[in-house]
Order: sequence, then structure tokens, then C-alpha cells
Amino acid sequence: MDIRIQDSKRWMGARLERKEDLRLVTGQGKYLADIVLPGMLHAVFVRSEYAHARITGIDTSAARELPGVVDVITGEEMKAKVKSLRQSVLLPNLPAKYPEYWALAVDKVKYHGDPVAVVIARDKYVAEDAAELVVVDYEELPVVVDAEQALAPGAVKVHDDEADNEMFAMTFTGGATPEEQQRNDEEVERIFQGADVVVSNRFRVHRTGITPMEPRGVLCDWSLADGLTAYITTQRPHIDRLALIDILDIPGEKVRVIAPRDQGGGFGVKAPFFRENVVISYAARKLNKPVRWIESRYESLMSVGQERDQINDLEVAATKDGKLLAMRNRGIANNGTGQTGVYWGFVMPFLGQVEMPNVYTWEKGDIKLRVATTNKACLTPSRAFGHFPTRFAIERSVDMVARRCGLEPSEVRRRNMVPKLPYTTITGEYLDSGDFLKVWDNLMAHVDLAAFRKEQEAARAHGRYLGIGFACGAELSGVASELLVPMENQPGYGAATVRIDPRGKVLIFGGDAPGGQGHETTVAQVVAATFGIDPSDSLVTTGDTGSTPFGAGTIGARAGSYFVSAVHKACKELKEKITYVLAHDLGVRATAEEFAFTNGDVIYLRDPSRKKTFREIVERIIMFPINLPEGEVGGLEATAFFEAAKPMICFNADCCIVEVNPVNGEFKIKRWVTAEDVGNVINQNIVDGQMHGAIVQGLSNVIFEEFIYTDEGQQLTADFENYKLATAADVPDIELTYASTPCPHTPLGTRGIGEGRPSSIPGALCNAVCDALSPFGIEITELPLRPGTLWAKIRDAQQLRN
Amino acid sequence: MQTVRITVNGELFEETIPERMLLVDFLRDRLALTGTHVGCTHEGVCGACTIHLDGEAVKSCMMLAVQADGHAVTTVEGLSSNGDLSVLQRSFREHHGLQCGFCTPGILMNMTDFLQRNPEPTDEQIREGLIGNLCRCTGYVHIVKAVREAARTLASGNG
Repeated sequence: MDIRIQDSKRWMGARLERKEDLRLVTGQGKYLADIVLPGMLHAVFVRSEYAHARITGIDTSAARELPGVVDVITGEEMKAKVKSLRQSVLLPNLPAKYPEYWALAVDKVKYHGDPVAVVIARDKYVAEDAAELVVVDYEELPVVVDAEQALAPGAVKVHDDEADNEMFAMTFTGGATPEEQQRNDEEVERIFQGADVVVSNRFRVHRTGITPMEPRGVLCDWSLADGLTAYITTQRPHIDRLALIDILDIPGEKVRVIAPRDQGGGFGVKAPFFRENVVISYAARKLNKPVRWIESRYESLMSVGQERDQINDLEVAATKDGKLLAMRNRGIANNGTGQTGVYWGFVMPFLGQVEMPNVYTWEKGDIKLRVATTNKACLTPSRAFGHFPTRFAIERSVDMVARRCGLEPSEVRRRNMVPKLPYTTITGEYLDSGDFLKVWDNLMAHVDLAAFRKEQEAARAHGRYLGIGFACGAELSGVASELLVPMENQPGYGAATVRIDPRGKVLIFGGDAPGGQGHETTVAQVVAATFGIDPSDSLVTTGDTGSTPFGAGTIGARAGSYFVSAVHKACKELKEKITYVLAHDLGVRATAEEFAFTNGDVIYLRDPSRKKTFREIVERIIMFPINLPEGEVGGLEATAFFEAAKPMICFNADCCIVEVNPVNGEFKIKRWVTAEDVGNVINQNIVDGQMHGAIVQGLSNVIFEEFIYTDEGQQLTADFENYKLATAADVPDIELTYASTPCPHTPLGTRGIGEGRPSSIPGALCNAVCDALSPFGIEITELPLRPGTLWAKIRDAQQLRN
Repeated sequence: MQTVRITVNGELFEETIPERMLLVDFLRDRLALTGTHVGCTHEGVCGACTIHLDGEAVKSCMMLAVQADGHAVTTVEGLSSNGDLSVLQRSFREHHGLQCGFCTPGILMNMTDFLQRNPEPTDEQIREGLIGNLCRCTGYVHIVKAVREAARTLASGNG
């Protein structure tokens, strides 16, 4: 083997045990709730019991009188002392009506769970007691929880200052001007007029999302000299820092944000900037003491992790041989209050419509979205950011087209898949690289469709209903600045500092803030492969704005795409310097390529007897910077930024086989097979784990989870008894297969993976169930998918037939 | 206030505590054993707070600390001895049975008890045994594998 690549072979793609796990399996992890500061006070929020009401008075006297209570803070005080959360750092560069709001509700509460006041006490039990003693007088107001009702003329307004509840509206196709769009829409209409097949459906996806096992939390410390140190469960500490600087008006050098080294999952839920950050920071400054808030599961389920909640009126035109021609979609998103920094709820449905065409070639499309403000909690990002509802609609529609054409749905997919990349979709989404057909054919090679059809037919003869379903999709692999600047007003580049230690160890600092993705391990593998050292010889630090380079955070599958690429770039820069000095010391003229970093040595390839250990040469450059090449200085540390010129993607495809019991509508997943393009793999275990987790999250969303609001806006699902997550017994084993193409736009050929992965799950599962029930002609257009609703559909079909 | 004597990971603690203090808070706040986690609102659904009470897996958010008076508690910190990880802990590392790790201590405690009762479990039995623990990261696939492989190792006597 070529000596230069042996360490790369050894560490890249390995199923290496994670560096994180020794502490995590022994109870030594340090999550936010494990951090205690001397004299720390405890905060408990008082939250609204109404979805929409005017606050006519808040009596805090009984709470204040309780021994141990230090302070009670209300919205009026917050409004008087700190700025609103409508600050430019938190505003996307998209034309929406951004409501002004403060860290605690002022004048009105706008959803069930809206924070009204906060109690600060020396003991957390006392803080809970005191929160019960805060008396809030409300004057109830009419409530609007339905998106279409919210958009109707004369609807109750959620935000008094706005003209109506339409927070955002956009056309995604046809061009930049209304005239171009109108021309486009007319052409789309002509295609529909002439099409052999048109399928039109109203697709509804319920409110669901992702709930990390660790709820949120904030711990703030204040000192006159150093200002604010805020420990926050967050995916983007650097952005949180900027927001705290602007909202609390603290000089930048006096704000440090630390995302704990261990975070119990994020999945997008910890990516926005939240009001509680402001309240706890303010309280710490006011009281000059550390203050901590740990979110209860009840609060979490009331306020965050809610996404999807969308209607898509989708029409698809096709030829009789299954060629997709055009789509027309009218999306309506139920945004809730829209009061969440960075995303304001609507950014998710925005991206969902951008990704609506999926990986298919369409001649034309007419895609429009309206986002309604309602008296529900604001949507928060949840893995499969935005495109869970739209992917469901499109993948179901493809199956309906196939049925109308008398073709296999898998064949219709293949016929319409983008055959060659790069490709720009009808909404302008750039699909950079990969080979969709290779992945698809790999999936089909693992599924014997012909044999299944025979088995299905035989089973039906015995009254058993088996079905097979497919779905696929492209997901973002990181988010390029080209997309992140307009969408979230933030840079997309990955950033890493690599510092080599005189003892031959490597310290890496990143602006990300992971929550279980295994950054410490994957980065250590990349560093080991690059420097020819062991992964145990490096240490990754993330999350601390005091020591890490600026970055937008752990979002959108950025680790495998942007972060490791930045790490690699910094390592490469250091390698150049190391080989330059080593060549000088050896008295040879040689380029960096003429040295191999392997097995702890740096070897001159033209004469492999001439080498130094990695430790010797780095110690020499760092500690003994004399007799260096002309103009060179000592030290080995580099910061690098990585940016891809265009957005990048990964691609995946699913096949699901189910059996449905027609007597009661119960269904069982008998097999789940996937095919993935994840680019070059760094750690196969971690990639597998990301896929497993994402797929099961998707299944859990489709089958079990649902945030339920009454017409009065009362949220009924704020505990795990009522907001049911899938347990191990509820879900199948998963067969993963890979047919990857290295990404040509990252230095290691890697792709960011896992974020968007749940989006093809509803399509695959529902397509399988509909295939099973095709004798009844049942088409599923609404989620969640529950045995009870299936049973009703089967019964209706049987009655119709009789 | 009440004085309790509770043995935790082999060490006897005598503490005066409010009667309403939950066992999980006693462990975390009084003894600084923060490996035991809280993931739901003390409803016993998430399982992250699972510990052993006299050797049996229980949820420490569903108990008052005073109820543990005179009993022996083991937490995740007590699973390894003299720095040697248990077979199950090693198996979770080897098979990537965790991602964020927040649910992991509770799962380790539950499955340690489970394997003592079910030395040769089927995958279905493991999945049923995990009903009291929620995990959001792994989709349970690697957890089931880690438990299955730990059972095999224990059965082969290589533990």
C-alpha cells in the first residue's frame, strides 16, 4: 500500500468507538443541569393558561412573601429594561411581518404556555411553590388556532399591530416579477389542460416535531468585571452571544456563551434564539448572582419541538406513461405566534416549498405558500427542517400517478428522477452532485419486487394484505452562505482552529455545538488520517464562544460537510509548515507531497530512512524556533474557514413493506430497507446511527406523535403520556445499504447527513399501506397514520362496495 | 425535615432532607451523582432516571428520597468497579448504543437488571424490556444490538 494513504485507509470509514462514550456510559457527562455555580438561584416560569387573553394585572405579592423567594419579574419590567427580540441579528433576509415581542409577555398572552413572569428563589422547590402563588388576571380574547380561519378576512388578530394574520407569503416558481410568474402560471395551466393524468389532493400533516430527551436550560453568571457568562443548551452559541449583546445592550467583550460539552440532543429544537435566554441573563445581571432555569418536560412540550402543521393542495400533471409534467401547489402553514428568534416559524415552511419538487424533473411548477399566525406555540425547527409535509405530499402523489397509469410506483420514480447532476430544480434549488439512479438501483437490488408481488397476491388470496412503499429525497448537506444568508441572516462557512501541542497532541476548536452527533470522534479520525497519528491523540472543543472560532453552529448536517472540511483545511496548512521546516532540517529541497505522515512519523519519501516522529518535529517548531528557514516563524496553530460555492446535498431512498389487518386497521412494518448516498464515510457506526435515529423519528412522527390543541387553543399533549414517542417495541429493525458517490466539493469527499432524513418516511410508510389496501382503493392524504382512521377508511370502502 | 440513611453505590449517606424531596433530586443535588437524569416531568415515562433500589430497576423520579431510607441504591456511577466497565457498558461503547447519551444511564440500569432476569433474550424481549426508556437519537437499533451482544458475552463467560 502507498505509505501516504495507509493512515487514511485506517481511520477513514472505520467503526471506531466514540471518544465521547467513556464519560457518557459512566455517568460522567456534563449536561447543562449538571453544572452548579456557588450561590446559584433557581428560576421557574409562570406560563399562560390561555391561548389568547389580555393581561389585566399580575399580583406577585404572595409569591414574594414566600421565604426563599428573591425576585419575581414580569413582562412590564423586561420591556422597560431590555430591548425586544426583534433585533436584526435574529431576522432572516426574507420579506415577512416580524412581530415585535419581549422576553416575557406584555399586555397579551398569545398561546397556551406563553411566559408571563419568572420567579427566582434560592431553592427550586420553593421557586415552584412561588410560581403557583403568582396571580395573573386575564381577560379572555377570541382564539384562532386554524390556519385557514386565521387567514380569512375579519379573523381575530394574534398580533394587534399587524393588518392581518398572514405573516409570510411567497411564490417559488416562474421568475422574479409578478408578470413572469403569471406567464409561468398560465403555461402550467396549459400543461394541466393537455395532460393525460391529473391527481389533485389536499394533504394535511399534523403538528409534530422532535423532542430531545434533554429539555432546554439556561444558567447565567454575572460579574461587574467580566460581564455575562451564559451556559445555554444551544446549537448555535455564537449567534446566541450576538443576540444577547444586542438585546441586553452589553458590550461584546463582556458576553461569553457556552454550550455544554454534552447536550442531550438538539435536532433543530435548540437552534433558535429563545426568550428564556434573555430572562435568565437579565435576572443574573439584576441580582448579581448565578441564576439557572431547567426546562420541565411540560414546558418543553408546551413551547418547542412543534413543527409540520401544514396543508398542501397539490395537483400533479403527468403523461399516461408516468412522465411527470407539472405541479401546482398551494401550501398553508400554521405558524403559531411566529415569536421565535432566527426562524420566526415560517422559515421551515419556506424551505419546505423550495424542496417540494424533490429529485424529479418537472417541466414547470406553480408553487405558492401562505403562512398564518395563530394562537399556537411558534413552530420550531425539527429534523427534516420544513420538508416533512411537502415530501409527504409529493411522494404520495407520485404513487397516485403510478396507480392511474397502471405502472409500478418504483418505475415511475425511476423514470422521473434527475438523471445527471448538477441540476437546478423548478424552485431554483441546486442539487450539486451524486448519482440518484445508482442509489435507486441499489435499493431495488435489495428488494425483490417481482417476488414480493407474487407473495402479495398469494397473501391476498388468504385475506392478508401486504403492501410495499417507496420514497426518496435529497437533503441539504450543510447550508451554504448562499442559502443561509437570506434564510437565517447568518454565514454558512465552517470554522475550525487546529492547535498542535508540543507533546504531539492536536487540539481542535470548532464553533459548532453538537448534541450527540459524535463530533469529537469524527474530527479525531480526520485529524488522525491527516497527521498519521492516533485518534486518541486529539481533543475537540466546541460550544464555548470564548475559545472557538465563530460559526453558525450545529445545524443542517454541517459537521460532515463544513466542519470537518474546515478542520482538514487547517491541518493541511499546518502540514505544509511542518514539511517545510523538516525539509530545511534535513537539508533537502522537497515539497509537502514528498513527505508521508504515518504511524506517528513524518517520513521523507525519497529516502524513508530520513524521518522524525510527529512529536519531535512539532515540538521543534513550537518550542525551539531557532535555525528555521529564512522568514519562517515558530508555532503550529491555524484557523481555517470552509465554504462551498453552492449548496450541497446527500440523497436517500426508502422501501417499506407492511401488513395491514383489514379488520381493525392495525399495521405492522415487516421490513424497512434503505439506500443512501452519504459520500465518503468517516465513521460508519455514526453514519448508521444517524440514519436509524432519523428513520425512527420519522416513523414516530407519522404513527404516534401529535400536538393537539382544542378550538380554544388549549394544548392537551404536554406530557409523554399524551405526546407519545415510539418505544423500542413500536419500531422495526432497519436494513441500511449504501451506494455513495464522493462529494466533489468537499476536500475529503464527505457529505453532511442525517438532518433531512426523516422526510421520506411518511411517504414510504403511507405508500406501503395504500399499496396493501389497493383492493379497497384507499389513498391516505392526512397524517398521523393511525389504525383507527385506517379502519374507518376500510369500512367506508367496504360499505361503498356493498 | 427527616434524617435518612441511604447506601448509595456502597457508601452510606446520612442526610437530613425535606420529606418532599424526590430520590432523583437527592442523588443529583445532595450527592452530586449527576449521571442519573431527568427527561420528563416526573411521570415515569422517559426512564432516564432509572436506578437500582436493592438491586431492582426503579425510576428515581417516582419515589421520595425518604422512601429509600434504609435501602441500598446503585446509580450508573456504581456500575463500573475499580475503573473497569461492566460488560453492558463496554457493549454500548463497542456497538454505538448511544448518541447524545442522555437516556443512556437509565437504559444501562434497566438493562443490567433485565439481563440478570433474561440471560438469553430474543430481540423482541429486549425491545419489550426497553419500553420504559425513551431514546430519540438511535432509533433503538444499536441499543438492541448492544444488549444482545452483552448477553452473548455474559453467556460465554467472557464478562
